[in-house]
Amino acid sequence: MIQTTKRIRITIPADAEFIDVVRLSLYGLATRMGFSFEEIEDMKVAVSEACNNVILHAYTQPDEGEIELTFTPHVDRLVISVRDQGTSFNFEQTVKGVEPLHDKEIHELKAGGLGIYMMQALMDEVVVHSGAGTEVILTKLLSHQGGKTHASEANHLSGDIHG
Amino acid sequence: MTNPNLFHIHHEETDTGTTLYLIGQLDLSMAVHFRSVVEPLAMNADKTLTLNLRDLRYIDSTGLGILVAILKVREEVGQTLIVEDVTPKVQRLLDLTGISKFLRPVPDQTAEQKGGAV
Repeated sequence: MIQTTKRIRITIPADAEFIDVVRLSLYGLATRMGFSFEEIEDMKVAVSEACNNVILHAYTQPDEGEIELTFTPHVDRLVISVRDQGTSFNFEQTVKGVEPLHDKEIHELKAGGLGIYMMQALMDEVVVHSGAGTEVILTKLLSHQGGKTHASEANHLSGDIHG
Repeated sequence: MTNPNLFHIHHEETDTGTTLYLIGQLDLSMAVHFRSVVEPLAMNADKTLTLNLRDLRYIDSTGLGILVAILKVREEVGQTLIVEDVTPKVQRLLDLTGISKFLRPVPDQTAEQKGGAV
């Protein structure tokens, strides 16, 4: 299978008002690649959640840092890297407490962790590298290329902590 | 021309209830604004609170988190949160996160079964 190495890179300020620029860019690329409407919506949510994590957790001062996004289209999937140079987010520890709200009562509900849960549920693979900053790598398979048609079948999250 | 993605809230008030029409994209950049509008209304036990999501084009975990917070406030004051006109893509996120089961269906669709109780 031929794999392209062409990449699209976008850098935005770590400021919530620029996340919609990422969503628009993602929409354009994913449409060209032939992703379905639903798959594109899944990726828009997941990438936005990765950006939210940077804005909320990576930088101690407002307007301090940037978010570097790299989109790498392959024949059968789109790989999206979301990087920051801020304080490493303890992803593994946070992921342990992440769960949906299906089995809860109202008084037990907690909103924390919903973003990470949504990333896991909506993408085919989520990999996190923490070190000097954090990199979240999100992968979505093109379902009509013979890949898995349901993201939940391939949900996988791994952390690779380098200190 | 108005940007359809720009988040804003249209507010309708009657003697018995409040309806907020959420329009555009509700993400982290608009979460504080949304919370500041909806939270005082949620604390009012004398009126129903309805969110109309017909023109809500996007919602992220911060928006969903505010829905969770509002659900808890409504329960504390002995009331419910009604959500109507949910688009399939927003419904998918409500289902995925498990929030759907806490949202009261729109009354006019269930009036016959529920005897019109609000």
